[in-house]
Amino acid sequence: MGMLIRDILENSVENFAEIKAVKWLQKKEILERSYKELMENVVAIRKGLLSEGFQGKHLALIGVSSVEWIESYLGVITGNTVAVPLDAGLPGEDLIDLINRSDSEGLFLSPKLLPLLDAVLAQCPKLRKIWLLQEQEAEIDNEKVVSLAELKKVSGNNAVDADKPSPEDVATIIFTSGTTGKSKGVMLTQNNLATNVEYVRYTAEPGTPMLSVLPIHHAFCLVMDWLKGFSLGATVCINDSLLHMVKNMGVFKPQVILMVPMMVETIYKRLSAADPAIPKQALAANVFGGNLKIIFTGGAHLDPFYIEKFAEYGVNIYEGYGMSECSPVISSNMPDDHKPGSIGRPLANAEIAFDDGEILVKGSSVMKGYYQMPQETAETLKDGWLHTGDKGYLDEDGFLFINGRVKNLIILSNGENISPEEIENKLALGALVGEVIVTGENNGLTARIYPDMDVVQAKGLGAEEVQAGLQAFLDEYNKRQPTYRQITGLIVRKHPFIRSSTKKIKRQEAMIDEPLL
Amino acid sequence: MTNEMQFKTIVAQYCEVKPEDIKNDMRFREDLGFSSLDFMSFLGELEDTFDVELEEEDVLKVLTIAEALEMMEKLQQEA
Repeated sequence: MGMLIRDILENSVENFAEIKAVKWLQKKEILERSYKELMENVVAIRKGLLSEGFQGKHLALIGVSSVEWIESYLGVITGNTVAVPLDAGLPGEDLIDLINRSDSEGLFLSPKLLPLLDAVLAQCPKLRKIWLLQEQEAEIDNEKVVSLAELKKVSGNNAVDADKPSPEDVATIIFTSGTTGKSKGVMLTQNNLATNVEYVRYTAEPGTPMLSVLPIHHAFCLVMDWLKGFSLGATVCINDSLLHMVKNMGVFKPQVILMVPMMVETIYKRLSAADPAIPKQALAANVFGGNLKIIFTGGAHLDPFYIEKFAEYGVNIYEGYGMSECSPVISSNMPDDHKPGSIGRPLANAEIAFDDGEILVKGSSVMKGYYQMPQETAETLKDGWLHTGDKGYLDEDGFLFINGRVKNLIILSNGENISPEEIENKLALGALVGEVIVTGENNGLTARIYPDMDVVQAKGLGAEEVQAGLQAFLDEYNKRQPTYRQITGLIVRKHPFIRSSTKKIKRQEAMIDEPLL
Repeated sequence: MTNEMQFKTIVAQYCEVKPEDIKNDMRFREDLGFSSLDFMSFLGELEDTFDVELEEEDVLKVLTIAEALEMMEKLQQEA
C-alpha cells in the first residue's frame, strides 16, 4: 500500500477542473491555466516521454518557476520516469556535473539558459534529448534539441499512456549540500512525496491564491507550494522575480505564501521604515496586497520577534521544519495549533527520537537514500532512522524545538544549506590563498583567509595589496556563483589557522586571530 | 530632494546608516549589510520610485552605491 502523486493530481482535476491551477505574468498581463488544461498538458508530456522510449529513465529540469516547468515535472513523476530538478543559478560546470552524476538521459531546459546548450551537448554524453521549455518550435540545428510543444505533439490523443508508477518507485532526485563538499542526490519515492502532501494538515478553499516565491527546485517550494497547493485545488501564482515580490503581492493578492526567514526580515525592513502616521492596516494592504493571512516559513529558524510584529499587520506566521531527506516537512506550526519559537508538532507520519540530542526521524516521508552514495546513505539512515544533523527537544506539549547543529553545514536565513568545504575547495585555487575557512556571519558567508606567504613574499606585496588582491579574487569568484554562495565578508588572517593533532584546521577556533589590516 | 538623496533614502531603509552618511564607494552587501533579498527588494523599490525597468542579469553586477547610481542615471536617460 502507499500513495501516488498521480492519484492526488487526478483527484484534483476531477474536483476542480475549471478552477485556475496556475497564474503567471507575461509582461504586465496575467495568464492562467485551469486544472483541466494543466492535466491535458501533463498527460501529453507523459505520453510523449513514453513514446520516445524514456520509460524508467532520469530526466533533469533546469529553469526558474514556470507553468512549462511544473507541467513537465508532473509529466515525468506521474509516469514511470524520475525527475531531477536542478538549480538554474548554478554555474554551467556544476550543472553538467549534476546531469552526469544523476544519469539523466533527457533535459528540460529554460530557453533563458540557451548559452549553456553547447557545453551541455558536448559534455553530457548520456543525454538523448533536450526539450526547451517553450511553446514555439526550437529552431536549433541539432536533432537532439526540440521544444516542449514538440514533445507534447509526439504522441496523438489516442496514444498509449504510461502505467501508474508503484508507490515505492523513486519519483524525484533532489540535490542537497553534502557535508563532505559534494552535493548528494536525495531519492524520494512517490509515497514519500504523496504522504508529505497528505500529512501536512493545512487546508484551504479551492481557488485560494498562493504566491510561490521560493526556487522551484527546492523541496519546500516544490512539494508545499506546488504539490500541496494542487492537492487543495489552490491557485498557485508565480512570482516572476524577487525584484517584484512586493509588487506581485499587489497583483495576485495571495492569501498564503511560503517563505524563508530572509524574506520575512526584508519585508519587515520595509514595514518598519514606513511613516508611522500611516495606519498599519493600510500599510499591510499596500505591502501584502490586502489579502494575505498566512506565511509558512521553513528552511532556517525564524526569530519569534517577527511572528509578533507581523501579527500587528494581520499576518500570521507559522514556522515549520524539514529537510529534503524528509520530503521535506517534519513538523510545522498550524493555524489551529501553534507555539511561537517552536517548529510545531511533528507530522502524524513522522516518528521522532533523539540520539545524544540529535533529532532522528522515521516514517513514510523519509527518503530511500542518496543516489549512488551507499556510504553517505548508511551514515545518515540507520535502521530506518534519519539522522537530521540538528539538535533539539520535544516540550511537554509535544512541540519540537531546535537548539543546535551536529553537522558542519551553514544554514543561511534564505534557507540555503551551505557546505563550507565545497566553497573552500574552490577558493583554495586562488593564487594568493594559503588556507581558507568559510563561516556564516551576519546572514552571509565570510571567507577567512591566511595568504600564501610564498606568493606574497615572491611578489613583495604589502598588507593592503594582499587585501585588495584577495577581494578582487572573491569578486571574480562571486560573479560565477548564485547569490547564496557568494562571499560577502573577507578577513585576512595574520597567522595560520590553529590545527588539531591530526593536522586538521580546528573550525571552532577559526575566528580566533587578529586581522592583517 | 535630488535623485541621489531620494535614492539614498531608500538605501537607508535597509541598513542602519543615515542617508547623509552613505558614501558612493560603499558596497551594498559588505559595507551596508544588505542581504541578497534586501538588495532585490531595494531594486524593486527603485523601479517603482524612478519608473524604470531593471533586468535581473544586469543588476547582479552592481556592487557599490556608485555603480547603482550610474545604472539608474543611464536608465533614466534612455527612458
